[in-house]
Amino acid sequence: MISKQILDKAKTYFSLSLITLVLLACDDEITVDTGSSTPILNIDAWVNDKSEEQYIYLTTTQDYFDDELPPVVSGAEVTITDSEQNTFTFTEDTDSDEGAYVWVPDSTTSNLVVEGRTYTLSVIVDGEEFTSTSTAGRVPQVDSISIYLEVKEGRMKDEYIAEFWAVDPVGTGDTYWIKTYKNGTLLTKPSELNIAYDASKNSGGLDGVTFISNVREGINANETDDDGFRSSPLTFLDSIYVEINSLTEASFSYMSEVITQTNKDGGISELLTSSALANVSCNIYSTSENGSVVVGFFNVSTTSGLGKKFRTVSDLSP
Amino acid sequence: MRLLTFNKIICLSILFILTQHIVFSQNKLTLSGNVTDATTGEKLVGVSVIIKEINGGSTTNLDGYYSIKLAAGTYNLTYSYIGYQKTTQTINLKKNLEVDIALEQATDELEEVEILAEDENSSIDVQNIEMSVNKLDIKVIKKLPALMGEVDVVKSLQFLPGVSSVGEGSSGFNVRGGSVGQNLVLMDQAPLYNSSHMLGFFSVFNPDAVEDVKLYKGGIPADYGGRLSSVLDVNLKEGNLEKTEVNGGVGVIFSRLAVETPIVKNKGSVLVAARRSYIDGLTALFDDDFEGFGLNFYDVTLKSNYKIGKKSTIYLSGFLGKDNFGFAEDGGFSWGNKTGTLRWNYKFNDRFQANISAVLSNYEYQLSFEEDEENTYDWTSSITNYKIKPDFNYFISENSELSFGVEGNYYNFEPSTTYGTNDGEFIDTSLDRKYASESAAYLSHQFKIFDAIEVKYGLRVSNFRLIGPGSAAFYNDTIPGLRKTVVEEKSYNSGETIASYTTPEPRLAIKVGLNSNESIKMSYNRMAQYIHFISNSTASNPLNIWTPSSNNLKPTVGDQFALGYFKAFNHKENDYEFSAEVFYKKSENEVDYINGAELLGNEYLEGELLSGLGRSYGLELYLQKKTGTFTGWVSYTLSRSELKVDGINNGDWYLSRYDQLHNLKVVGSYKFNGRWTITSDFAFATGTPTTFPNQKYISQGIVIPYNSEDARNNVRLSPYHRLDLSLRMEGKTHKNNGKKRKVKDYWVFSIYNVYAHQNAFSIYFTQSDYRVSTGQVLGTEAHKVSIIGTMVPSFSYNFNF
Repeated sequence: MISKQILDKAKTYFSLSLITLVLLACDDEITVDTGSSTPILNIDAWVNDKSEEQYIYLTTTQDYFDDELPPVVSGAEVTITDSEQNTFTFTEDTDSDEGAYVWVPDSTTSNLVVEGRTYTLSVIVDGEEFTSTSTAGRVPQVDSISIYLEVKEGRMKDEYIAEFWAVDPVGTGDTYWIKTYKNGTLLTKPSELNIAYDASKNSGGLDGVTFISNVREGINANETDDDGFRSSPLTFLDSIYVEINSLTEASFSYMSEVITQTNKDGGISELLTSSALANVSCNIYSTSENGSVVVGFFNVSTTSGLGKKFRTVSDLSP
Repeated sequence: MRLLTFNKIICLSILFILTQHIVFSQNKLTLSGNVTDATTGEKLVGVSVIIKEINGGSTTNLDGYYSIKLAAGTYNLTYSYIGYQKTTQTINLKKNLEVDIALEQATDELEEVEILAEDENSSIDVQNIEMSVNKLDIKVIKKLPALMGEVDVVKSLQFLPGVSSVGEGSSGFNVRGGSVGQNLVLMDQAPLYNSSHMLGFFSVFNPDAVEDVKLYKGGIPADYGGRLSSVLDVNLKEGNLEKTEVNGGVGVIFSRLAVETPIVKNKGSVLVAARRSYIDGLTALFDDDFEGFGLNFYDVTLKSNYKIGKKSTIYLSGFLGKDNFGFAEDGGFSWGNKTGTLRWNYKFNDRFQANISAVLSNYEYQLSFEEDEENTYDWTSSITNYKIKPDFNYFISENSELSFGVEGNYYNFEPSTTYGTNDGEFIDTSLDRKYASESAAYLSHQFKIFDAIEVKYGLRVSNFRLIGPGSAAFYNDTIPGLRKTVVEEKSYNSGETIASYTTPEPRLAIKVGLNSNESIKMSYNRMAQYIHFISNSTASNPLNIWTPSSNNLKPTVGDQFALGYFKAFNHKENDYEFSAEVFYKKSENEVDYINGAELLGNEYLEGELLSGLGRSYGLELYLQKKTGTFTGWVSYTLSRSELKVDGINNGDWYLSRYDQLHNLKVVGSYKFNGRWTITSDFAFATGTPTTFPNQKYISQGIVIPYNSEDARNNVRLSPYHRLDLSLRMEGKTHKNNGKKRKVKDYWVFSIYNVYAHQNAFSIYFTQSDYRVSTGQVLGTEAHKVSIIGTMVPSFSYNFNF
């Protein structure tokens, strides 16, 4: 569906066009009491097919305004088993303050995830087992990355923006998270989360063609200068690495929900987009009846990637 | 159950008429006639015709016509209407008599009296069988302080009991705990599917073209149907039949101009009113960045009428409005309504008349956007409604009136037409259109049992069909709250019925007069709504779509009971009116949404919808001072509005987004000499409910808000309160040389939100740090958004000649 493409644009239209009213609206940080609650287990288990260390993070939830790192969960048994009955054991990284459990590739197994296989996660904490399954989808190759100079009018600054080129394989139901690393840092602002359902932003749309333009351009960092004004996503000597990660239908929905719940523009756009706060989904469950409730998500991805360094003007596409 | 056919309705009506005739019409004569404005010849609606001898009377209907059955004798008649001089006449009734009256407009000197009163006759609300109805005359609306100084019909409704909104800038209004999409908004009988300009800051009704506004919150008569909560009936003004008249105004946001003129003197007239905003010009003036933006809205309203012979009148009205947000380079966004109404009023005789209406209404929005030549996108969505509605009125006797009719609607839904080019290739991901019909037949009979007791009972039977070409999707059963997936699809040919529903909708109203100044009224109505307004944002917006009932989506059906006490009294020579009403409403098949629902451009939208129960109840108190130099009212509503939907809030009842426990409105107007009037209003309401997280966790480097109770609307925003002021200065009536000025004009200076209270529209939660390195805390913060965060002064100049 390309409606999402246009909807994104529409939000910009609204915010700009209501400029007179923007002057009347205000958006202030406030202090509110959101109360306190019993922490529960959070399993953040996203692994891929890269021949590198794979991490699963076990922490607990914390009160909304807690100003500390999330408490880590130690002493858990963490394994992933694939549909070929290979088991991958994740061992606790005791140096980590993020609750990391790590699997390290070795000479016999260099990649955990293989396209088409189904994986079962097992996490045992204090004798209670939590499981989930996920199947590795497919990803197309990133063919190229172009960088353009976008000349802006008026007071807005000119921007260097990047666009990647790839063709979604024929057959509906392929879902992706297109991650971007800028100078080695993964872009994780909610406004930078770039997901695709086949070749467009959501289901029922384009299939088997080049990704639609807001996916292609979704790899740009959302940068602001010290005064909070938008600044160019790229400048000379920046490097950019685009990595397509496969998602399942369930993890695609999960990511959509995450974007809805976290990507807040604030101000007058609340009139258009504010909806009730709701918990995002979770695909990990306790195996025991009336078991504990957990949060988090398990996903296995195949990946493909391509990088580009923006050295000189000669790197610009026309 | 089969729909009652038109023939059956006719037979039934005839039966009624005959029986009524025998019971009531012995030795009674008919007094009837038209009431018009003496200067313009316009028909006056809602004029009180009081007969002193029987301590009762009637009011003129939509066509300015009244009819009363009386025994032979001599009677003193008083005709009264706000802004007009009271006219009294004595008649000697020996045979059926037609008395046409032309009322003179009150002169400035005489206008001293009420400003905010809706009706000069103090006891008419007490005597009328209608309850839960608020009528606002455009003259009253024009006196209220308004945002940006622009008089607004929909915003003025907010000052009435039982009416609320989720906040400033939100379009539409909520009636007795119902959602915005549950109001039937009619402009000369044409339903409007989005009644706002600039999101929700202004409504589409041009005050220069509006005669009056009537809001039915309960006890809804059988001739209305199709929405659950209310009917807002906006009547357009008829043009001057005598001479050309021009009305206009210049304000901060837009300017208005209305011209009315006779086509053939005293036979037909036409009124054309137009408005256009000029924010685009202003912003370009202030800031070069906005050059090339075309952002504006305009609307044109037309009403014309023509009298053919003594018995027929033809009315034609139309509306065309559009909001444009265009960008010179890369596209634009627009939305708007088009409506047309053709009505034929025919009087068979002094007791029997017909109104036959043919209506067209269309709402459409369009977005287009061009990245570059190789990448362009277009998106259109619309709803079109054709309607035919013959209505009949039969005055059986002074004590008995019958109305009946049928209504046929045809809908054409265009959920989304999307096409464009992607990297040079043509793409089309449009969704199929949907077609539906909605028909209804109704019969309603109002009669007096004794002098004090009046009953109006009626039945409306409505039928809805979703018609092919199209397809029906069948979904799996899943855990409530999760997205349903399609298991089977069946396609239908053109004209085939995909889904069909029939609902009998009984209506009842009873009035018991305690004395001439006091009455108790009760009412019951069942309403069925077959087309659903799909919106899961806090405030509705122009992109929200309407979708028909189907094999999955059931019609929303609701029942409402109301009981009220009405009293008119006089204190120190001033007229007051008091009313207290309680209501209870329950409904089923209310629509809500799964978390993360995709509502736009989704072929399987119904997989994202949840269905549940609704209930609301409340107490509404209203006290109005109708006469004197100081006039005004106090309106207070105590109410609750709740939903219970499997998959939300653990399946328990939760407060709706528009629930407001307390809602207080105070309006006062003081005329301190012939030229100056000061009006002030104050609003207080309990903050609307919202959902807060109590916990958070990190997923892939992103802070996710979490509510451990999985609750919905578990807290409230801070209370809403606001004070507005307006000062109206009438232009001089005479020139310095003593000659009377031809132009009548006035200035309105207003201040909205006088003490600049930042009322919360929403509170949202977000992380405050991004892309941190390992070991650093991801902070979180809460933000409050106020749409109007400051005091807004404005002025307008208005003229008439």
